[in-house]
Amino acid sequence: MREHVAGHFEDIEKQAHAARFGMWVFLGTEVLFFSGLFALYIGYRIEHPRGFDVGVEHNTLVYGSVNTAVLLVSSYFVALGVHELRLGRNRLSAWLVGLTILLGLAFLGIKTAEYLHHFADGIYPGGTGRFFEEHTDPGLKMFFTLYFCMTGLHAIHVLVGCGVLSFLLYKVATRSIGAWAPHPLAIGAIYWHLVDVIWIFLWPLFYLVTGHVR
Amino acid sequence: MTTVDIAVPVPARRPTPRESYLNVAHTVKSWALTTDHKRIGILYLVTTVFAMALGGVFALVLRTEHLSPGPTIVDAYTYNRLFTMHGIVMVWLFMIPSIPTAFGNFLLPIMIGAKDVAFPRLNLLSYYIYLLGSIWVLIALWAGGCDTGWTFYTPYSDHSPSAVVPTVFGIFILGWSTIITGVNFIVTTHTMRAKGLGWFRMPLFVWAMYGVSIIQTLATPVLAISLLVVGIDHWFDWGLFDPARGGDPVLYQHLFWFYSHPAVYIMILPAMGVIIEVVCTFSHKNPASYKAIAYSTLGIAFVGFATWGHHMFVAGISVFDAAAFGVLSMLVAIFSAIKVFTWVLTMRRGSVVVTTPMLYFFAFLFLFVFGGMTGVAVATQSLDVHWHDTYFVVAHFHFIMVGSTMTAWLAALHYWFPKITGRMYPERMGYVGATLVFSGFFMTFFPQFLLGNAGMPRRYYDYDPQFQPLHVVSTVGAWILGAAMIWTLTYLLVALFRGERAPANPWDSRSYEWLTPSPPPKHNFVREPVFARDPYDYTVPAEEVHA
Amino acid sequence: MKEPTPRALLLTLIVLLVLAGVSLAFRFAHLGDFGFAVALGIAAIKAVLVALVFMEITIEKPTVRFAFAACLSLFALMIALLVGDIVTRSPPPLGPPPGTEARYKG
Repeated sequence: MREHVAGHFEDIEKQAHAARFGMWVFLGTEVLFFSGLFALYIGYRIEHPRGFDVGVEHNTLVYGSVNTAVLLVSSYFVALGVHELRLGRNRLSAWLVGLTILLGLAFLGIKTAEYLHHFADGIYPGGTGRFFEEHTDPGLKMFFTLYFCMTGLHAIHVLVGCGVLSFLLYKVATRSIGAWAPHPLAIGAIYWHLVDVIWIFLWPLFYLVTGHVR
Repeated sequence: MTTVDIAVPVPARRPTPRESYLNVAHTVKSWALTTDHKRIGILYLVTTVFAMALGGVFALVLRTEHLSPGPTIVDAYTYNRLFTMHGIVMVWLFMIPSIPTAFGNFLLPIMIGAKDVAFPRLNLLSYYIYLLGSIWVLIALWAGGCDTGWTFYTPYSDHSPSAVVPTVFGIFILGWSTIITGVNFIVTTHTMRAKGLGWFRMPLFVWAMYGVSIIQTLATPVLAISLLVVGIDHWFDWGLFDPARGGDPVLYQHLFWFYSHPAVYIMILPAMGVIIEVVCTFSHKNPASYKAIAYSTLGIAFVGFATWGHHMFVAGISVFDAAAFGVLSMLVAIFSAIKVFTWVLTMRRGSVVVTTPMLYFFAFLFLFVFGGMTGVAVATQSLDVHWHDTYFVVAHFHFIMVGSTMTAWLAALHYWFPKITGRMYPERMGYVGATLVFSGFFMTFFPQFLLGNAGMPRRYYDYDPQFQPLHVVSTVGAWILGAAMIWTLTYLLVALFRGERAPANPWDSRSYEWLTPSPPPKHNFVREPVFARDPYDYTVPAEEVHA
Repeated sequence: MKEPTPRALLLTLIVLLVLAGVSLAFRFAHLGDFGFAVALGIAAIKAVLVALVFMEITIEKPTVRFAFAACLSLFALMIALLVGDIVTRSPPPLGPPPGTEARYKG
């Protein structure tokens, strides 16, 4: 069914503006949702500088870095998909959105493999596992628990993003949105971009920043 | 000069019953799946009243327990769970939704000349999320309830044997309802005002809804993450605040209060929005300064975010941080003071009519100033060392939450009763109710200032015998307050079916919601509204409203 | 400002990937505390690029940009006063717990 102007809006442009405004405010709430965990990270890093450095050095850099590239490329594809939809090229747009979803699922697959790798190393959330019997710094426990918490919450958002984009893919493919009303895909895309931005900050905090203290 | 009148009964007029949002459809489905903001407001109103009754019952049991030291009617573990669930039900199931979801939903679109909010289906979703969260909290109650206090302080909340996880999960769900409502109101106010209706010509109640929406949208996500972490820690034992695993319990308090201090402004801003409308209407005068009210609303919304540490003065934060929070907490009080002066000056040279809402305003004025000044007192760090975690603080916040917000909620219930239901409430019963509410309230909570100052700690099941007399007075007051609430809700319920039919504008107000029939038609206005004058122009007569 | 062209989008992706590579390279440099600033600085540049080009924040009305900026300011406020607490705490009365002496220097 073609996207139409809802009864209480004057025209599609006003409706699109309201929808984008609403999405940006919602993104603001997502930023504040993660803020608490970022605040905990910074606080605990100051309280346990050595533990956090050692934690970064024991983290799985390859998995994390590949995932960074995966998300950046996926953002590109969905942004291009919005552009194509504005030009009325629904088929091309649908393929691009589909690629984005695949990359999102790839991210989740790599993340799962990474978690299993951690478990194999004896690193579990809550500071349990044989790794923590060998490395007793409590800061290390906090590092990895925060790691599982923040990347886990992020992964849930990636999953939700895949769901939202799948729903939008259906709308693009069945031509219920298109050049006359591209904004539903645009707002789905900016949600995806925010998920990418959060990872842009998670990656250095958990994989890159170390004072090389051993 | 100012004139004062006792309310004159409104002459009976019985317009022929016509189609309104209430009778346009009668099926359960038309209510359960409504996207009409007015019906959603009613759904919220009914549910929040039940929540208030539940929280009130908990309070009465708590107060009755305190009639004597030692065990009276419940044991210590039950007492702890009761005060926790009282706080949770009152704050999240009643106080925070009370005015915005019922009156905000009903009135905001009408006051700006819109047909509905920006996202009507999201609005319905927000109600069902609220309902789901409330039911979840009830399930937690059935599972025994939580005993950590509504603040869920770590490390106790990580290990408490009570039903912590279902409780925090229920509140987590409720939070999303608040956020969705906030986003909806913000976008509505920005994008759906009638042609020509600028920001400084809207009714001030809209400013209050806008301000509260900013706070609740931005603050609630931080509560969500704080409670999520408590839930994870409790369920999975991840120890994010466990010192043995590198954790710092004070950081939990930082995160919790970052939300929970703005939360108290979420509870007071809507009340202030009701008050300015009531004062202007029943003084037949424009506000002493429209911009003072509008800007102070924004001031509270933003500066209120910077004051949370005053809940943590004795928790172990640094001297520097405590000092910073102390100063910031003083600053935010300035905006409330601006409002108090504006309300009082508004009455000057007006023709004051003392109706039930106006009586509630007088109660509000006294109790808010009293409670607010004691807030400034506990914001003084050196004094707070003595009063923290005593009944002094308990009295302070109940003066604001019950004495101010709930009083304003009662004022709103009466003021907008004709508009929402199309009927008048019985004025004399309103006078009795307001007097009983004020008396019961004061008798309950004033002695608690004295108790706290004398050293009675809060959240304590037992107490030393010297505190008993004041506890007894407080408990008697609580029973009077409970009776007053039953009295009020009863006559309002009867008036719903038997009250005199109300005209479009029974109060001779100039605010825009009175330009449409009582109750309003489904699409709010019969014709697309053009607001040719400002909402507080009492120099012209009120327009005739044709159904 | 107009919506970005496909060329602009691709260029942005390339810049983002290059910046990620630079950040990765710095992981192996010995920068000590400075490493924190470098890594987060690069991350901030990447985030701004995503917001400006991919998310088209420049096309949004000023109100929308102000709203999002307000959220970021609140995050900054939270960090400022929470971290402000930790770094200005005095040692406990019986002396700093083992391993935390560095925090109370000065």
